[in-house]
Amino acid sequence: MLTIHDRIEEFLAADLHNELSESEREELHTHLMECAGCRDLHKQEQVINKALQGTLEHSKPLFGFEQRILGAFRNRVPYRKRNVGSFFLNATRSRAAQLAGAAIVLLTLFEIGQHVTGETNENPWRTLFVSRKPPAARATAAAAAAQSSWTAHAQVFAANESTNPTAPSPTAAPILAADPVASPKATVANTPVAVESSPGESTREDNTARANAPEDATANAATAQATPAPLIGGNDERKLIRNASLDLEVRSFDDALQSITDLAKAAGGYIATNSSEKQENGKLRGEIVVKVLPDNLDDFLGKLRGLGELKNQTLATQDVSKQYLDTDARLRNARVVEQRLVDMLEKNSGRVSDLLQVEKELGRVREQIEQMEGELKFMESQVQFATVTIRLAEKDMGAPAGFLIKERVQLALFVPEVEKVYATIRGFASDVVQISNAALDHDASGRVSARISMLVAPEESDNVIAKIRAMGRVTNFQVQSQRVARGGQGMAADAKTEWDKVELNITISREDDEPARQQTSLSVRAADVNGATKQLGAIAQTGQGKIRSSTFSRHPNGAEFSSVSLRIPLKNYNAVMQSLASLGKLENITVHREDRPGDVSDEQSAPADVTVTVYSQGNIVAPETGLSATLRRTLTQSAAALMWSLRMVGVALASVAPWALLVAIAFAVIIAVRRFLRARAG
Amino acid sequence: MKAADYELYFAAIHGDQEAFEMVIRKLSRPLFAIAFGALQNREEAEDTVQDAFVKAWKGRWRVRDAHKFPAWIGAIVRHRAHDILMRRKTIPLDEQFNEISSGQAQFWLADAERHQQVHAALATLPELHRSALVLRYLEGTDYATIERLLGVSNGALRGILGRALATMRKRLKPKLEGLHVNHS
Repeated sequence: MLTIHDRIEEFLAADLHNELSESEREELHTHLMECAGCRDLHKQEQVINKALQGTLEHSKPLFGFEQRILGAFRNRVPYRKRNVGSFFLNATRSRAAQLAGAAIVLLTLFEIGQHVTGETNENPWRTLFVSRKPPAARATAAAAAAQSSWTAHAQVFAANESTNPTAPSPTAAPILAADPVASPKATVANTPVAVESSPGESTREDNTARANAPEDATANAATAQATPAPLIGGNDERKLIRNASLDLEVRSFDDALQSITDLAKAAGGYIATNSSEKQENGKLRGEIVVKVLPDNLDDFLGKLRGLGELKNQTLATQDVSKQYLDTDARLRNARVVEQRLVDMLEKNSGRVSDLLQVEKELGRVREQIEQMEGELKFMESQVQFATVTIRLAEKDMGAPAGFLIKERVQLALFVPEVEKVYATIRGFASDVVQISNAALDHDASGRVSARISMLVAPEESDNVIAKIRAMGRVTNFQVQSQRVARGGQGMAADAKTEWDKVELNITISREDDEPARQQTSLSVRAADVNGATKQLGAIAQTGQGKIRSSTFSRHPNGAEFSSVSLRIPLKNYNAVMQSLASLGKLENITVHREDRPGDVSDEQSAPADVTVTVYSQGNIVAPETGLSATLRRTLTQSAAALMWSLRMVGVALASVAPWALLVAIAFAVIIAVRRFLRARAG
Repeated sequence: MKAADYELYFAAIHGDQEAFEMVIRKLSRPLFAIAFGALQNREEAEDTVQDAFVKAWKGRWRVRDAHKFPAWIGAIVRHRAHDILMRRKTIPLDEQFNEISSGQAQFWLADAERHQQVHAALATLPELHRSALVLRYLEGTDYATIERLLGVSNGALRGILGRALATMRKRLKPKLEGLHVNHS
């Protein structure tokens, strides 16, 4: 609790502002008498109070302040009459109206939805109402019944006691009947049994029915207990063969096998068969058949689960009781027959043939007996032990055993003499190089090409490829390598990687057939075409190139043309171009260069084609000159232009004409109708 | 709050323009005090109050509870004043007070310096304290009304005003040493 001294500031302020209650003021003044410090504060506070009053006195709003505020408000907010619209506008702002609106919208949506889906039968309002009604009705009915017929209940109780005195459930009804007035509803809520049996007339039947119920229940319980009995106690009445099979994924096959053996021993069983198989990737897979006592089967299966990941499990039970009993009965019958036959033999009266007959019959019967005994024994052994088939697989069964890297190399070789190279490469064949396919083609145009496919041992491949590449120009060189998983899929960290034989595909073509890297065409004007052409041959020789083709032609007007196509290595291109300039003036130079990205061939020796057209000027004279010719040309051209524009006008007219016709017809019809009408009126 | 006041505010909120004008008459002076407390300039304070009323009229439907109407409109005024204050931040305080004092009557010249000191001390108070103090001294508003207008809880105002006065005292003490007020 704060004392007044601690809160002196508040009190002083409130005192100055006259906001202290009577008792508080008294308290303050008492304190001020005692405390000099607070008294001093009080004085100072009064000074401040005065100062503030004096200062703020002059800060009051100027005269006419309220009028100004009101006037401004009226100016800025136009006066509105309250009308229906504003009423609704205000109504939308009330929360109740908003809720009602939302409810209406939802209801409408609901109705629409019902219409759309066509669920008219299931009216939820009705179901809501109906479902709510019965409990209430039941409760009231129960209360009424409890009040009116408690004597009946008492009688029933007596009857119950006589028929089944130990039945526990009917006592609920007498409790209700004994105290009906006190709190029938509570009883109804607590004992639903009473509610169901409330109608007075039928209580007797109900009760007998209920009295029977416990008996049924105990009977059921008895059978329920009886059912598992043969399984547990080995009762002879039921012969059940239990089989289970399961798939397990384990870390190690051998460890799992050891554990299973131990488990089987513990469960009073043994391992019947055991087979395993080693996969390519070193993982083991196998099947183990275990026989265990049926009682321990479930326990055994549960323990097996701990060995690894359970993939699959089936449990089957086969009831062979009937078969067993049948066989047993027939066996007993056969034994009786056997005994009789034995008796017959022992009597030994009769003929030998009869005896033989009896002997034969006895043999047959004994055979049957043995067979049946065998069957029974088999069944018993089956019943005695449950068979569990466990299929084990080690983890990562599907991991690949190894990887194979297959490399495929493809190259295109351009050489001067195809046949020679072809023969050389074929000569490579040895125990590490295997030629799988070789073909030499001479086509109709005299072109020669060859294809060779070979398989090369991986360690030898680089060597062979280098040798082949040295034979000519290589343009297209592709290496594809492929990693193939063996014996599985996916990744395996420790799988081995092996190299397969390298597949080598070679295409050999003549070097002339190689597409030029750069194509240049140009023309040279020279007086002596023939001489220039000869010079070209010399230039080609110095540039280590050769002439691929050349043509010569002479026009009637005396002009001579000579076209020469050269192929030179790219490194000499600039030198050749310079020496060409010595022939004459170079014109119309066009250069087309084709750079294929990823081209592996040697840039320097790549072929470049140069097509040179050498020409001399003939007698180039215009056919007609002079004023008359010019005039004639002008006239013909203008006449042609005129005809052309006429044709265009015709086209335009043709496109407009149908519309004009249509409009004209419309007008005509209108005028005719009007005339007709006027004539009628007249 | 009195029942009559409640009725008035309720009608104003629901679009009764006459009721709203009544509210203007009733609240304009206290609101002016709040604005003046924040701005310490009469013209600006008056503009602020005008704007606040128009804004309140336009947004009146936001107020769900008529009890909170005074606090709501008080908040509008304070926000508006705060905006103006932020905008003019660069103008030094002294000049304003000179301006104010120059508007006073001639014979107050002797007191002009004292007024200026008081205003300067006021300007250092927190906004809420200043508004409360000005409301009290400018209009003599009672505590309950001030609380309602400033939206402070019941009883908190005493503490606010006590602290505000104490601060004023500390600020003005050296300057008012020579000042003597007749104390009866």
